[in-house]
Amino acid sequence: MGDLSKKASAAEGNTEKNSELTLAELPVGTTATIVKVLPGTRGRKKFADVGLVAGTELLIEAHAPFGGLIRVKVMETSMALHRDDAANIVIQPEGESDK
Amino acid sequence: MKKNFRIALAGNPNCGKTSIFNMLTGARQHVGNYPGVTVESKSGHFTLGDMEIELIDLPGVYSLSSSSPEEEVVFQELTKPGIDLILNVVDSTIPRRSLYLTTQLAELHIPMFLAFNMSDDAKKKGFKFDIAKLEKYFGSPVVQTVGSRSGGIRPLLDRLAKTLTELEDHGVPMLTYGADIDDAINAVSEKIDAVSCARYAHVPARFFAVKLLEHDNCVMNIPEFKCVHGEVEEQIKHLWDKHAINADTFMADCRYAMLAGACRDAISMTQERRREISDKIDIVVTNKFLGLPLFLLIIYLTFYFTFTCAEPLMGWIESFFSWLADFIKSLWSPEQLPLLRSLVTDGIIAGVGGVIVFLPNILFLFFAIAILEDSGYMARAAFVMDGIMRKFGLQGRSFVPLVLGFGCTVPAIMATRTIESYRDRAVTIMVLPLMSCGARLPIYALIIPAFFAQKYQATVMWSIYLIGVIFALVAAKLMKNTLFKGEGEVYLMELPPYRLPTVKSLMLHMWDRGRMYLHKAGTIILLTSIILFICNTFPVKKNFSQDYEAKITQIQNSKESKEIIEEKVSSLENARQAELMAYTLSGRIGRALEPVFRPIGFDWKVTTACIAALAAKEIFVTQLGILYAEGETDENSVPLRRHLVQNYTPLQGFCIMLFCLLSIPCLATLAITRRELNSWKMTICEGAGLFCLAYVTTFIVYQAGLFLKIGTSFLM
Repeated sequence: MGDLSKKASAAEGNTEKNSELTLAELPVGTTATIVKVLPGTRGRKKFADVGLVAGTELLIEAHAPFGGLIRVKVMETSMALHRDDAANIVIQPEGESDK
Repeated sequence: MKKNFRIALAGNPNCGKTSIFNMLTGARQHVGNYPGVTVESKSGHFTLGDMEIELIDLPGVYSLSSSSPEEEVVFQELTKPGIDLILNVVDSTIPRRSLYLTTQLAELHIPMFLAFNMSDDAKKKGFKFDIAKLEKYFGSPVVQTVGSRSGGIRPLLDRLAKTLTELEDHGVPMLTYGADIDDAINAVSEKIDAVSCARYAHVPARFFAVKLLEHDNCVMNIPEFKCVHGEVEEQIKHLWDKHAINADTFMADCRYAMLAGACRDAISMTQERRREISDKIDIVVTNKFLGLPLFLLIIYLTFYFTFTCAEPLMGWIESFFSWLADFIKSLWSPEQLPLLRSLVTDGIIAGVGGVIVFLPNILFLFFAIAILEDSGYMARAAFVMDGIMRKFGLQGRSFVPLVLGFGCTVPAIMATRTIESYRDRAVTIMVLPLMSCGARLPIYALIIPAFFAQKYQATVMWSIYLIGVIFALVAAKLMKNTLFKGEGEVYLMELPPYRLPTVKSLMLHMWDRGRMYLHKAGTIILLTSIILFICNTFPVKKNFSQDYEAKITQIQNSKESKEIIEEKVSSLENARQAELMAYTLSGRIGRALEPVFRPIGFDWKVTTACIAALAAKEIFVTQLGILYAEGETDENSVPLRRHLVQNYTPLQGFCIMLFCLLSIPCLATLAITRRELNSWKMTICEGAGLFCLAYVTTFIVYQAGLFLKIGTSFLM
């Protein structure tokens, strides 16, 4: 998980902007908790309705071939969402997660 | 006592709602479309003791937020008066997620009945439910069901009967959003009560207040509530300023928090979460490297199943119709109403029969699709293909319909229903006719061997298909960047756990599609057959250039060998037929349009055949055969090929194929496009657009070919 913590610490070192790790950047197999869904995100309510709200725990299950979709397990359900949208979901990785 | 009840069936996608619906209503169901949207509406009837129940199967949704066409439909249906009970199907393997919808349904204050479905799976997963507590919490009866097993809904039926007789003293759910939010909700509710909107008098003001605070589209657009908006904004501001609460998503937060509380009390897990079989399958199926080849293999098998296995059945249907035509001909003497006789046999039976022949294809195809869909594989396929398809402005779910388009465009368009985004679906439907369908194959099979040497034949055929695919992808990309421009809808797709499809649901699915197809054959195809017959028959020519009958009699009486006589007679009969054809409406239309089609290399005969091919693409070959006076022809007809070689250049041959590939699809395709997109405008644009595309492309190819002298003499 060295890769991830490096990424996270590198991000922390940055200025306030872009200092947060988003769902789009997580490698497969990571468990994380949603910190917030950025305000003004399109489909914010849609995400909220399937449980993508602050405080929810999720697991990155897979990345689709040729980029694009990310598959996450949230509230016992697998959901596929687009990377661009995932970039609006700020997360906190769960310590040294088990890969 | 009341005898007739209306029950709305609500639940998440993939919660097993459909299997419960099928169990309850069996074949007594009606499938249609909600007006204006492409959401399928389903309702059915069943009896319970002496009660007659109408069951409305609402589309599967996660929420009542009106953030998709499905959710809007559910919202509209549930706020209409006259629903006696909501039967809420809950996937008990994921109670937290499923009950989220329940919290919103409860706010409608319509009596509710909860079916905790898939209770066998939940038990296996280690869930234990305290039913008494859950009933108290939601103020509704709760039963555990297994929708996939017959007898699994027995407890539901018993309890439902009892519930319906005591609807008056239905419980009230104990749901609250906490003091701050409740204050805001109450303030807005009071204003709504003051408006006293007659249309929604039966819906509690609190429901609308919550929706207004969430900025729900549907509720914000109700004109009666416009005057409340001021208060709503004030409350939202107040919540934000005083409590830093963002009302937009706070309700969702609260609902999940409420459920977390309820679940802690009433639902317990006896064993640790274990990796499910479903996840293990997915490691292979959605693998970065294996996923794609595996998907292609499955598609290939689907095709094999659809086209190869259905073939014997098609043969039987074909012989049945030719037998039927012969049988009627033998009973009906040619002297009595000869025109009606040939309309019935050559027009209607041949035309409608020619379409019904494809019924086994349709049934097999949709059986295979139902397996893929019900098992949960389709969502994986979409996941795997999405990356590639997106490069062309399409999405994962567009791929299967596009591939099916090589078979027949009609079922392929029907298969686009799995695409949730309207724009992606519309684009997929619009480009589908460019995937060269099976009915165009006879045209290529007639022309290619006539003009191209054996060693080029496969390449020409392949290039025709390839041209279609390239045009389809480019057109999709273009349309996505122009007509259907704009930010795509938020893509959020559930990948449900794999499940074994039930035979009953597969059969019902197949039957649904089959019935739709037969309906088409009985209406539009029937009509076209009659019109074509009339165009090909009238006006009847009375004075011929030569006296064929006399000549035929003369030959028949001559002393030549039997074969020679037969050959001469048939060639005379064909010549007579050709003269008849040229005189008919079809012939005249062809001649009138000839100047338009000359620049792309067509004469009046090809033009007429192209027009006739609107009914069904294969008819091109039949029609050309009639015009070249070869009588009945098929694509293997050697004399017809000889005629083609004598009259056209290979360049013209290629242009004919190109035009047939790109031009207006058959009427059945246009009809289904109209129905699925629910728009005449788009259908007409589709037809006109494809015609222009075909004309311009063929024009360029033909003129360039003429100029460069490519294919103007026979290639051998």
